[in-house]
Amino acid sequence: MKTSRAPRMIACLAAVAALAACGPGAGANAGDGSGTPRQGGDVTFLIDSLGDTWIPNNSAISSFQGHIWGHVTDKLVYVDENGEVSPWIAENWEQNPAATEFTLRLRKGVTFSDGTPLDAAAVLANLDIWAKGDPARGINPIGLFPKTYDHAEVVDAATVRVFFTAPTLGFIPTLGYHGSILISPKTIALPAQQQADLANDIGSGPFVVASWKEGDSVVLRKRPDYDWAPAALGHRGPARLDTITYKLVAEPSVRTAAVQSGQADVAYNPSPQELASFKEQGFTTATPRYLGFVNGYAVNTKVAPFDDLKVRQALQHGIDRQEIISTVYTDGWLPAQSLFQSNVPGATDRSADFAHDPGRANRLLDEAGWAKGADGVRAKNGQQLKLTLYANPYLATSKAVDELVAQQLGELGFKVDIQAFDVVTYGERVKVGSPSVAAYEVTRSFIDAGTVAGVLTDANKGENWFGLGQGDPKLVELAAGVARAQSVEARAPLLDELQGYVLRQGYFVPLTQIVQRVYLQSPKLHGVTYNGIAYANYYTAWLG
Amino acid sequence: MNRDYAKYALRRVLQAVVVVLLAYVFTFVVISVLPGDPVTNTLRNPQNGFTEEEITRIVAYYGLDRPVPEQLWASLSRFAVGDFGVSLRSGLPVTRLIGDVLGSTVVLALSALAVALVLAFAVGFAVRHQPRRLGFLRSFPSLFLSVPNFVIGLVLINVFAFRLGLFRVIDAEGGLATFFAAIALGIPVSAQVAEVLIANLDHEAGQEYAAVATSRGLGRTRLFLRHLLKPASLPVVTVVALTVGELLGGALITEQIFGRTGVGSLVQRSVTTQDLPVLQAVVTLAAVVFVVVNLAADLVYPLLDPRVRLGGAKPRAGVAAP
Repeated sequence: MKTSRAPRMIACLAAVAALAACGPGAGANAGDGSGTPRQGGDVTFLIDSLGDTWIPNNSAISSFQGHIWGHVTDKLVYVDENGEVSPWIAENWEQNPAATEFTLRLRKGVTFSDGTPLDAAAVLANLDIWAKGDPARGINPIGLFPKTYDHAEVVDAATVRVFFTAPTLGFIPTLGYHGSILISPKTIALPAQQQADLANDIGSGPFVVASWKEGDSVVLRKRPDYDWAPAALGHRGPARLDTITYKLVAEPSVRTAAVQSGQADVAYNPSPQELASFKEQGFTTATPRYLGFVNGYAVNTKVAPFDDLKVRQALQHGIDRQEIISTVYTDGWLPAQSLFQSNVPGATDRSADFAHDPGRANRLLDEAGWAKGADGVRAKNGQQLKLTLYANPYLATSKAVDELVAQQLGELGFKVDIQAFDVVTYGERVKVGSPSVAAYEVTRSFIDAGTVAGVLTDANKGENWFGLGQGDPKLVELAAGVARAQSVEARAPLLDELQGYVLRQGYFVPLTQIVQRVYLQSPKLHGVTYNGIAYANYYTAWLG
Repeated sequence: MNRDYAKYALRRVLQAVVVVLLAYVFTFVVISVLPGDPVTNTLRNPQNGFTEEEITRIVAYYGLDRPVPEQLWASLSRFAVGDFGVSLRSGLPVTRLIGDVLGSTVVLALSALAVALVLAFAVGFAVRHQPRRLGFLRSFPSLFLSVPNFVIGLVLINVFAFRLGLFRVIDAEGGLATFFAAIALGIPVSAQVAEVLIANLDHEAGQEYAAVATSRGLGRTRLFLRHLLKPASLPVVTVVALTVGELLGGALITEQIFGRTGVGSLVQRSVTTQDLPVLQAVVTLAAVVFVVVNLAADLVYPLLDPRVRLGGAKPRAGVAAP
């Protein structure tokens, strides 16, 4: 009884909280990078969850633990919000012409906070655990680490050579992916139960874990001898802030009101609809986009009537993406331009291939033989034109988007049903390629667009998103071309062609570019940077 | 040694063991019939990009691919030797997880109970002492019974944390933060206690002995403290014993609102992720607390009312009615 009434009551009280809390925190200056950086200070970051386990491999890509890993650990390369790759622990690298062999040269003098060196042997131990995990010890592999990884060798203390079974252009960018965090070999050797204790998880990052309490908080303290930040961040030496406290506050209105009242510096994941009001009050909001697929539907071509090209194209042209942004989101969100986020290197603007055109969508459905009945629903051979959308439980706004899409498609004559499940039921019932799932909602980050080759068909155990297997020779050829490409330059035209083809065929129906991490920030906090996975980095930040 | 008491105590302890065991098995069965498991659910997050083959291998590590009776037997065998296992969600030992949060919940629950009792007895005293001026307080218990504690919690946070700055939400375990959380949790409980207390005070005040005492010139305060309070408190003990569940359940919501980490928030995380080993341990712990508190209530009864004794030739304090 109490919990079922909770959301409405909380929403009402959130408004009261917002009014009550317009206090000392709401200054006039914006929290950008302006002013002279100051040393010292403590930042409090209110987060809606601290995720599940702290076993590094099992938690590195979590939307929650990822924040902490980003400060406690380093990566081999840095990938910025535009997908630009630059040196970090790897000072430079080279590849063979076939892109199957890579040599990484490491920065010297880097140490983990337990004093052990971050050398070639440590990097090798990390590469192995990312690629293979250790299922016998309960350690997962990193799901999106290239499956073509064969092995790595130590050449000397500062050089590692990595071998792949097939061309893997995505390897270097993937080293900047959130899964690729460098952990002390001593930690990697620990049993899973001990790795699950964050205090035992040692990195080489600008902060160390000062204390933590499961499901409550993590306090990070700066490492005074840190001196190997990526040049791309424009700051050297130790972090400016003394501590960062990540504190779990599950109630969204309490998180935002705490920042408004000056009790905390950052609130994670406020509601998108509230952002405009926070900005007006002088607070900083950030909606960084990660590199990856846009939010959209992977269409299962095995499910009738989506085996018909014209029906898929009608779906493609029947959705008004701009209306989704103006209704569900705010101006921090962008319409999709392709199946990739537009900041992904290699993403091209293919908006014309899926432009909103209801006239065209109606014509396509007419041509496909779907006639509108008296109730406005189209039918063919006694069957109604039906589509079930499964709201993605990992994206808070998914159901609202689906409702709007249902309305838009309803006008074309689709009968759209929306199913919203909890995470558990969703995982059980909604799977890519399932005969009951015609449209699978995609939200997935990646660092390199080459990832696409592993999902489009079932070649090389691919995920086969569209249920095509290897039945579409053109798609197979393009995907294989992308996978086999030996240089970014050679791959670029193939990627462009692939995006156009997948969109024109109505295999992937984009919605909007995705923002999965939303930040409300005190105007006192300056110099925050966001990486390619949209995590806020406070190494460069200071309190003004 | 009173043989009646020994037999009684033995029976109660055996009952307790059976209750705890049933709670353990019941939790296992209920969670097991639900679809999915925490490991698979996490791995199936489309962000992870795991293949079915990888998922199968990882699930096998946790033994979650084995038949349910086999898993139950393995779990019971561990439980019998006091091993609660490892949390499927966090990978940490269950005893550590519970040990980390138990203190916080005990402090919150006891503080809330203290708040509830103080408020209830204060209201009870007020309505008897100043029936005309403070009679309106009689409507408070039913009012606060109908207000959920998360509403009280949010209002307290807004006023005392954000507006007056008396405590910080990020220091949820601090003294004042705990005090206000205890008020949020304690008020609905105090309403229940006050309702029963006021009804019984009214009943006792209508008895002849009260009229005699008043006619002998005893003041309202003395009458309340010396004559009415003790007999009227007897049913309160029962209510307090029953509110243990209310305190544990309410702690879940109060902890979430105030950002505290306790048994309630641990249960919440474990339920949403189907973390069976943790849930079994918490349910077992709750069953133990329930049994112990109810036993304690039975033991307090004869202290408050000498008429409640075990039928025997030599009744003695501390011997409770079954």
